Amino acid sequence: MRALAALLKKECLLLLRDWHALLLLFVMPAAFILIMSLALQDRFQAHGKVSASYYLVLQDDSALAHSVADKLAANPLFQHLDGSGVSQAALEARVQSDAAQFVVIIPLGFAAAADGKNPQAMTLGIGPGVEPALRELFSAALREALSLAQMQASLADLKKQLGPYAKKDALAKLELKNTDALIQRKALYQQNGAAELPSSVQQNVPAWLVFAMFFIAIPLSTTWVQERQQGSMLRLRSMGVKPWLLLGGKLLPYIGVNLVQVVAMLAIGHWGVPFFGGEQLALGSAPAALALMALAISFASVSYALLIANLVSTSEQATIFTGVSNLLLAALGGIMVPRFVMPLAMQAVSLYSPLAWGLEGFLHVFLRQGGLRAVAPEAFKLFCFGAGALGLAVLRLGRWRRD
Amino acid sequence: MLTITDLSFQYPRSQSLALQGLSLSIPTGSLFGLLGPNGSGKTTLISLMAGVLKVQKGSLVHSLPQTRLSLVPQEYAFYPRLSLQENLDFFGAVQGLGGRELSTRIVEALQTTGLESAARTRAEHCSGGMKRRLNIAIGLLNRPQLLFLDEPTVGIDPQSRHFILQSIRAINAQGCTVVYSSHYMEEIEMLCDRIAVLDRGQLLLEGGLEDLLAARGRGKLEELFLSVTHTGLRD
Repeated sequence: MRALAALLKKECLLLLRDWHALLLLFVMPAAFILIMSLALQDRFQAHGKVSASYYLVLQDDSALAHSVADKLAANPLFQHLDGSGVSQAALEARVQSDAAQFVVIIPLGFAAAADGKNPQAMTLGIGPGVEPALRELFSAALREALSLAQMQASLADLKKQLGPYAKKDALAKLELKNTDALIQRKALYQQNGAAELPSSVQQNVPAWLVFAMFFIAIPLSTTWVQERQQGSMLRLRSMGVKPWLLLGGKLLPYIGVNLVQVVAMLAIGHWGVPFFGGEQLALGSAPAALALMALAISFASVSYALLIANLVSTSEQATIFTGVSNLLLAALGGIMVPRFVMPLAMQAVSLYSPLAWGLEGFLHVFLRQGGLRAVAPEAFKLFCFGAGALGLAVLRLGRWRRD
Repeated sequence: MLTITDLSFQYPRSQSLALQGLSLSIPTGSLFGLLGPNGSGKTTLISLMAGVLKVQKGSLVHSLPQTRLSLVPQEYAFYPRLSLQENLDFFGAVQGLGGRELSTRIVEALQTTGLESAARTRAEHCSGGMKRRLNIAIGLLNRPQLLFLDEPTVGIDPQSRHFILQSIRAINAQGCTVVYSSHYMEEIEMLCDRIAVLDRGQLLLEGGLEDLLAARGRGKLEELFLSVTHTGLRD
């Protein structure tokens, strides 16, 4: 017990005096959480706006063309930029340079269809940086504006023709009704008992927290290799310190560091992000599930680090291997790119990343109000991964001691 | 008495034996010098005697418990970011020492190695000589009866070397058997009463220093050493 306590104290002192490790484990993820939460804030706001703007070139002076323009301008998701007095080519150039995302050209003769002639199609110019989802959203908005304008024109015409013959009540029924009231949106996410859409901080904190927790592999594996290279491990062996004690002396303090990371990153999400103008992280209503996930991720990451530490020969190898493998596992696990935007085949592969298990578990707690039962499968997978990695590390350490 | 009989050792993935059928005796209370060119097997032999490596073939017999053996490796085997006191605290505690007993042993070790005034200095800020002395101080915490020193004076100034050699004499005078490995012949001549010369994993010479010099008609240990190991480069 005294030896274990000494190993724990030594590890804590070494870590507290290693500024590089502290920066890597606390400052880097804190910065990620702040930057990503604030950068993606609009994307996740409950009543958020889509940041897209457009120019309109209205060459047709018909009522239909003006009606389409008005209806598009009334859409709160898109901002109409004034392009009056600017040539069509210049406006297209602006869209090409990302000053706006779209340019809509309603040509002369667009309303000809209303007169039974061949209509001139309107043109939708799309900027090079516009993502497919936004492109489809704007196209839908334009279609909706056009359909409404055409329908209003048709109904007005119909009312005019029926006017002398129909009753007033019947004509009133030919008015277009606002259909918004017929769609009730229900967010299947609750915060403090009220249904809401999750904020960006709610999405980002779990992802970057899992990433940071796995980055503990860098300081852990490099210190282990340095101890081996510097001879202190040899000295401990000569003093009869058992391998399990050496591993335990690393496992426990670094799990402790991981748990401090959890508390720190949640605190940044809860108090830090709102301080910089972002939304507040809701901590969920399942502290036991959160604690279980934190422990499971921590056990997996520290065991993985110990395995790498016992596989490599130099601290340079340890740094490169852990850094690169963490980045790959993070990319695969949906930390950097959400899994739902990946192709199905990639989504299937990503299920094999321990970071994906960690992220899923945390999302159960932070987004889906899941309890212990919900996170149990992910926690189980992480504990199995950790046990496997630790077992291999013990085997490798045993072999090294025999060499 | 530490008795080694027909000891052989081969590292995994190595084609050759690091030690081949080596037999020698180290008398209790002696200051035993271990000599040999690079790659001769000195460190392997010390590691086997200190219990860091497992004996594969042959035997290695002594009557001491592992807790009374101590190894001072060639490398700075401590934590640079810890102070001297913290290093001694740590290595004492992992050997089961604590409380007043540990404090007493730390004071003893610091006094023996002349490091009392630097106890609170971080090891990374110490000079090479101080680091060498800290390396030895850690090895003294368990009050060893058998102390293995693997090239303990590499890369230090003459003053530090002199101090370390005096300290080793003092430790030996208290009844501790010392096995001292070095490339510095004058150190071995100054310190040791018995020596063994190894080369390519084999024992070339063993015996009392004076007897060996007389028997081979050599006035200096270096002459004797080169006469048995020859002058060809080894690495």
